[in-house]
Amino acid sequence: MTENNLLSLIIFAPLAGAVINWLIGGKLKNELFSSVVACGTVAISTIVAFYIAFVAGGGAFHAEKPVLDHLWTWIQVGGFRADFGLGMDRLSAVYACFVTFVGFLIHVFATGYMHGDKGFYRFFAFLNLFMFSMLTLVLADNFLLMFVGWEGVGLCSYLLIGYYIKKDEAREAAKKAFVMNRIGDWGVLIGVFLIFTMTGSISFYDKVVGGETVPSALDAIAKMAADPFTAGVIFAGGITSAAVLLFIGATGKSAQIPLFTWLPDAMAGPTPVSALIHAATMVTAGVYMVVRCNGIYQNAPTAMFIVAIIGCATAVFAATIGLAQNDIKKVLAYSTVSQLGYMFLACGIGAFVAAIFHVMTHAFFKALLFLGSGSVIHGMHHEQDMRRMGNLRKHMPVTFWTMVTGWLAICGVPIFAGFFSKDEILYRTFATKASASVATLGGVPVNMVLWGVGLATAVLTAVYMTRLMWMTFFGAERFHEELHEVEAYASVHADDDHAAHGDDDDEEEHHHALPADFKPHESPWNMTVPLMVLAVLSTLGGLVGIPYALSGGAVDNYFEHALEPVIVKKVEHSETKEVKHFLASEPKTEAVSEPSKAAEHTEHDPAELATERTLAVVSVILALAGIGIGIAMFGKTPLRKMPKILEDKWRIDEFYNGYIVDPLTNLSRDFLWKGFDLGVVDGLVNGVGALVAALGGTVRRIQVGFVRSYAAFILCGALVVIGYFVYYGLKLIR
Amino acid sequence: MDFITENLLTILILLPAFGAIALVGHQMFWKQEGQLKWITFGLTLVNFLISLLLFTGETTSPGGFMFEKNIPWIKAINTNYHIGVDGLSFWLVILTTFIMPISVVSTWHAVEKRQTAFYAFLLLLESAMIGVFVSLDLLVFYLFFEASLVPMFFLIGVWGGENRIYSAVKFFIFTAFGSLLMLVAIIALYYMYAGVNGGVGSFDFVAILNAMKSGNLLIAGQGASLLFWAFAIAFSIKVPLFPVHTWLPDAHTDAPTAGSVILAAVLLKMGTYGLMRFNFALFPDQSREFAYIFIVLAIVGIIYGALVAMVQPDVKRLVAYSSVAHMGFVILGMFSFTETGMQGALYQMLNHGVSTGALFLLVGFIYERRHTRQITDFGGIANVMPLYATIFVITTMSSIGLPLLNGFVGEFLIMVGMWKSTVLGITGSTNWNYIATMLAGTGVIFAAVYMLWMVQRVFFGKLTNPKNKTLKDLSWREIGLILPLMILMVYMGVHPAPFLKRSRESVVAIQERVVHQTGGTYERAEKKPAELEHR
Repeated sequence: MTENNLLSLIIFAPLAGAVINWLIGGKLKNELFSSVVACGTVAISTIVAFYIAFVAGGGAFHAEKPVLDHLWTWIQVGGFRADFGLGMDRLSAVYACFVTFVGFLIHVFATGYMHGDKGFYRFFAFLNLFMFSMLTLVLADNFLLMFVGWEGVGLCSYLLIGYYIKKDEAREAAKKAFVMNRIGDWGVLIGVFLIFTMTGSISFYDKVVGGETVPSALDAIAKMAADPFTAGVIFAGGITSAAVLLFIGATGKSAQIPLFTWLPDAMAGPTPVSALIHAATMVTAGVYMVVRCNGIYQNAPTAMFIVAIIGCATAVFAATIGLAQNDIKKVLAYSTVSQLGYMFLACGIGAFVAAIFHVMTHAFFKALLFLGSGSVIHGMHHEQDMRRMGNLRKHMPVTFWTMVTGWLAICGVPIFAGFFSKDEILYRTFATKASASVATLGGVPVNMVLWGVGLATAVLTAVYMTRLMWMTFFGAERFHEELHEVEAYASVHADDDHAAHGDDDDEEEHHHALPADFKPHESPWNMTVPLMVLAVLSTLGGLVGIPYALSGGAVDNYFEHALEPVIVKKVEHSETKEVKHFLASEPKTEAVSEPSKAAEHTEHDPAELATERTLAVVSVILALAGIGIGIAMFGKTPLRKMPKILEDKWRIDEFYNGYIVDPLTNLSRDFLWKGFDLGVVDGLVNGVGALVAALGGTVRRIQVGFVRSYAAFILCGALVVIGYFVYYGLKLIR
Repeated sequence: MDFITENLLTILILLPAFGAIALVGHQMFWKQEGQLKWITFGLTLVNFLISLLLFTGETTSPGGFMFEKNIPWIKAINTNYHIGVDGLSFWLVILTTFIMPISVVSTWHAVEKRQTAFYAFLLLLESAMIGVFVSLDLLVFYLFFEASLVPMFFLIGVWGGENRIYSAVKFFIFTAFGSLLMLVAIIALYYMYAGVNGGVGSFDFVAILNAMKSGNLLIAGQGASLLFWAFAIAFSIKVPLFPVHTWLPDAHTDAPTAGSVILAAVLLKMGTYGLMRFNFALFPDQSREFAYIFIVLAIVGIIYGALVAMVQPDVKRLVAYSSVAHMGFVILGMFSFTETGMQGALYQMLNHGVSTGALFLLVGFIYERRHTRQITDFGGIANVMPLYATIFVITTMSSIGLPLLNGFVGEFLIMVGMWKSTVLGITGSTNWNYIATMLAGTGVIFAAVYMLWMVQRVFFGKLTNPKNKTLKDLSWREIGLILPLMILMVYMGVHPAPFLKRSRESVVAIQERVVHQTGGTYERAEKKPAELEHR
């Protein structure tokens, strides 16, 4: 067990930054001061994270054992123990490094984006607080501290979505995000209870604290026999129940069906927030948790199945909505939901490392796309509707070219980062040779269906991203064009503005009329430099995970091998055949159980290599086809009308409001409060009261004449009683 | 100094009472109403400082009483002035003395009429509340319990809001009804004890408890159930447990700020404290037998309170209903009969005192400015009162149980305790304890809904109501009031160990008393990893 006290610096540096910015920054109101504090503290985190991950003692990313840092024992009651302790193993090393690094870039970007905002210091205090929470989440060494970060990022997300407090949609979105996350958190909490009762611990790692041995809950469950693949085990209170409960939390945090609707609304926050929280880091926390608990999931084939189905369904569902949105950030938001779906698909089929790989590349290219869109919005004076853009490549060349790399990355064009990670997931889905659920879909293996849907989603992704690029950067300039629909909307809002006239207009307002001599402008250096860095990462970042088959045998998948120890190698039990098949996509599973095959794998089965290469070619063709379709459809007519139901996002929000929120509110108001509380209970009591009053009426009439007020009367009485007490008391004490 | 530590609890009780008399005297001779609040504040502050001497106490036996005093009082009925403090009451006494100066200062500009009586009542209330927590004689306990009603009745009825008379009477009828039942039970216990003690009855809680423990005094069957319910109803109304909670929203809404703060922070705890101290200890078998009723009502209260809170148009009423939900959690933890759950319940009592007390203070601040609490009268307040908004949001987060703030620790321990408990039993493959915990857990979701919805409507958005444009942010006095509570919220959330440590032995003693006949525990042993390999 390695100790490194520097670990706590990673989380506490941003916390200190948040406090300083809040207390001192609020007084100074100096943008330079706030920027230096915010970016500086995150820079410290970044340096320390990389130092511990790669340098100190050989680096946590290469070490066998996690680096631990015990701070204090947080809660210890009756056999339950939760430490405030941090740990960095290979998985959290990956997360800590990309979170701090991408976070740092976004902080720098935000210093330009938020320039001139009245709440500059407040914004950076929240952003730093977010970094603290997120890093606590990934570096926690037990479930409960992870939950601290988990709720903490939810809070920061709430605060930052609602940052423009005057905007109604912002405050609505903030609350919605928090509540939906809370629904998920319920699952995490109950899941943690279950894990605790199953293992007597909530720690991630085996450790010794103050002479006391704390065993790892994850290892304990990994050693148990796997649950069978049936629906019944979901409610049996065993491993599968725990896994499903945790996954409920993941659907909330990572915006999966059915709890995904908050994420698109969350775009009401400032764009750097969307990039940092709602694309690169926080929303991938669900993936982190599932991978962290892979030992639990591997023992719960039913839960794995659910994860795969939900992930895949979300991927395609969100992609269809993304096709029809006109707000540039909304498109990217649905794209994020869709990409998160891919990650869960990977988890569900047992390709945990591929999921993390996609988390990382996605963090690069999606942060890039969001920041790029932020740069566009900044240049367009806070116009977000793509119908009023066009031909921006002339005006914002840096933004354009960096966005192009992001676009190619997400579409899955080779060399760019997204290609390797997405292709890895699709290949793994395909290569899952047999799964327990094959029979359930009338002879068609489920993994083939998942793979097919995954491919379709890849095409859709290319189409909507191409649409976004063309609407924004190509075609005619539409800044001053009259858009019937848009104008109608704008005029409604103009009235609002008028009503609030006299308020300071420091905050972002939608759909204000652009002046006639308006020209979009390129953004300042502190916004374009982060874009360029991310563009490089989006281009080359995928190379760390280049698989053997595609590198022509030059390198074996470095990323995969590095993260291998994090994934529990399930020793097969004879009675759990289903699991074995279901997990067959994980070659290392077999490597342990059947040593003879292990050799084959290291030498790479030529047949498998051929398949992998063929599938990669298919992916590329489909990605290019998607781009082609996109250009064909939207190249000439960027404003092509999309199906109404897609524009309306399949009316999911209306469904939730109409069938859950409103009935519950009405029930509470009309039945519980007015009906039961005021009607039944109070009615009863008041009846009795009236009776008593009627009886006492005569007595009262006499009293009122004599005593000026009840208060004086009873005060005297109380004093008499007290005096009596005291008199006797003193006599007794003597 | 020796005199003080020797008679510490007595001083804590009597100092405010003498203070009340002094106030009246002061008013008679000097007629300087302006000085009254200073005197009252000084007295309560001194009382708080004195109460800190409790930390010097040491118990002679694990879970035993400190600063115990047992002096014969009315020999004819063998009533003793028997007081003492243990882990169960320790923090509640300090919570009381701590919250008093704060609530006094909260009235600085709010009370204009009859200041003498107002402050005298506040001081009398403090005496009564401390008395409740330290009494070890049932009759003395009863007297303090009743005595706490009177000042609160007038605080609501005289200095309250629009419906003050109705609310005050309702408050009085509900609680007095319960405590009358309790009085009957206390007298019954007196005679039962006399039956086994050679005709000499006693109200002494410790004596009766020891007689029960040693098997001399056996109360069983219907009689025991009746006695149990007599106590339990009195305390349940005080908590308040669903469905006898309806006095609370009215009392809170109409009480002056100081009254609401004290009501939420301390008075409600008398109910949960009483259940734990008297019902659990005196009637362990009945406590187990009827636990399911309390658990069901607690869960209904958690969900019901949250749902009704959601649709309240009045901020204060909303917070009041949230109290119903929070106190439901406390009941749930207590009746899990596990160390984790009961410790969590005790901790949650303190948390609720701090965060809900703070919420009522904050609502009071805005009421003093605008003389309205209707949510629709506000909107966009954060634009003119940023500091107030910040503090309100932090308090909200504490109330809805955000980790690293106090509320989370309590709720979490309660739910872990309930989860591990076997009190509800397991039928077939259905573990009812799990179901109870999962249902209670939904309260955590609803809490976020109603609190954030309110915060959103009051603080965010555009400032639409012109009357709100000139609102001033918090004054130094108000910051000073709320700051100690904020510090506690963070400290209790980050480092609960010192609190839990002090109460542990007493809580365990009570827990063991309750489960003494069930093979020792309701706590399911956690399986050790080694045993699990061949599940």
